[in-house]
Amino acid sequence: MNEKGPGTAPRYGLGLRRAHYDDFLTGRVPVDFVEVISENFMVDGGNPRHVLETVRRDTDVALHGVSMSIGSADGLHGNYLQRLRDLADRIEPLWVSDHVCWTRTSAHNSHDLLPLPYTREALQVVCDNVHRAQDYLGRPLVLENPSSYLAFPGDEMSEWEFIAAIASRTGCGLLLDLNNIVVSAHNHGFAPADYIAGLPLQRVRQVHLAGHTDGAIKIDTHDQPVSADTWALYEQVMPMLPGVAVMIERDDNIPPLPELLHELEQARALATRPARCSRVPA
Amino acid sequence: MAPTSLAGTQAAFMALLLKEDSPLPEGLDAERVAIYRNAYRARLVDALRETYPRTARWVGDEAFRRAAAHHLIASPPNSWTLDEAGRGFADTLAALFRKDPEVTELAWLEWAMHECFVSADATPLDAAGFAAATAQYSESDWARLRLHFLPGTQCTALEHRIHALWPLLAEDSPDEAARDGDYRSEQPIACIVWRQALKPVFLPVSAAEGNTLSLLLTGASYGEACAALVHRLGEDAAVAEAGTMLGRWLHEGMIRAVDVAP
Repeated sequence: MNEKGPGTAPRYGLGLRRAHYDDFLTGRVPVDFVEVISENFMVDGGNPRHVLETVRRDTDVALHGVSMSIGSADGLHGNYLQRLRDLADRIEPLWVSDHVCWTRTSAHNSHDLLPLPYTREALQVVCDNVHRAQDYLGRPLVLENPSSYLAFPGDEMSEWEFIAAIASRTGCGLLLDLNNIVVSAHNHGFAPADYIAGLPLQRVRQVHLAGHTDGAIKIDTHDQPVSADTWALYEQVMPMLPGVAVMIERDDNIPPLPELLHELEQARALATRPARCSRVPA
Repeated sequence: MAPTSLAGTQAAFMALLLKEDSPLPEGLDAERVAIYRNAYRARLVDALRETYPRTARWVGDEAFRRAAAHHLIASPPNSWTLDEAGRGFADTLAALFRKDPEVTELAWLEWAMHECFVSADATPLDAAGFAAATAQYSESDWARLRLHFLPGTQCTALEHRIHALWPLLAEDSPDEAARDGDYRSEQPIACIVWRQALKPVFLPVSAAEGNTLSLLLTGASYGEACAALVHRLGEDAAVAEAGTMLGRWLHEGMIRAVDVAP
């Protein structure tokens, strides 16, 4: 299986979004890599493929999916895996990632990242699906911790225990979304420090930074700048993640590219600043 | 929530998203479930609005939102790609806007353009290439000639001048009042959708041309399509029209290959 480990991967990237296609096609954008939503490019042809293949000539690409539904009880969709493998074979990405969640049943697709019950049964389902995906794709998956708004009363372990077990049993990599930790910590009342301490950080390949909408329940909207509490967590965590790739993830209310590049510069500066404190905020 | 299998949990949760009055499993917070239900609906309605922007402007935002919500209930998405969520929306609109058939025709055109946008790449055959490919054809070969159009090419009969309405419904169209008017066509017409390089385009044509192209797209030979044209227009007119159509399709870059049916 192909895999680039931390320290050998490009460091700072942005999501490649339609609003910025022209920027990437007409000029040099100062990023080490771009991340694309895999499904947007799992198409037969046309402009999306043209754009991605053109950008790929000069820039490394990470494939980030939202529809694998790695937690679906009825397994993975064969046509989906085939399309994803075709795309990965063409693009030769840094890695292929998706989320620890489920999106569909055999009958319907929610097109949302839905929460899993953290049970032994669900863990087995996810691990079986990860094994199948990795075998089919011929590369390790990288799985992102989700944000969520509810927990199931039958949960048998914490989210970080669940994710750590997936990584241990399948050998998959992890994509650490710090905004998701901030959102879920608020919504479920756990401490980000416990979450970070419970993960095998040596498995982390990439970090996501994003914004959310505040409220009694925080909503993971990705439509505003990275929040102060996410930046604070980032500053504390990065000394534990040497060489890991970092990306600003903005999916809605997308600003002009310079604004995102400014945030990325902030990420670069904070990651290279000597740690002021080695403890993650509780 | 009572212990249940993962499949059962996921089926019950999906039902909560699709139908507000689905029973809430024990232990789940209704307010938090509603966050997911609202996000599901908003995301899908937004996806339909993105696929059908002109239809949305034509019927108005609230009417479109209701139609999209109805479509989600009647045809909940089952594909892994959000691009497919709008499949069949023209049929949903046909049932909802029975007195406004132009709505369905407009939606058909937007869906055809949407599909064509990501159809497989192919190089069109130009007139010289066509001449070279058919240079040795016998009369029998010409009768059995098959035209293979670019992937994504579609054609349908229309009763309204959707091509005239289309630019007036563009996002940057300045004058909503200019859309007022009767767009019914005096003659039955048709519309062809295909892609030129990376850009989906359409062309309004006569009903006769639309019928001919539709036959070819569904596997008829050139001879069979011409026979239908003779039946429709008479021999002299059909011969002239058939040549004109073929020339136009080549000139516009709609044909990717030709061969002779066995």
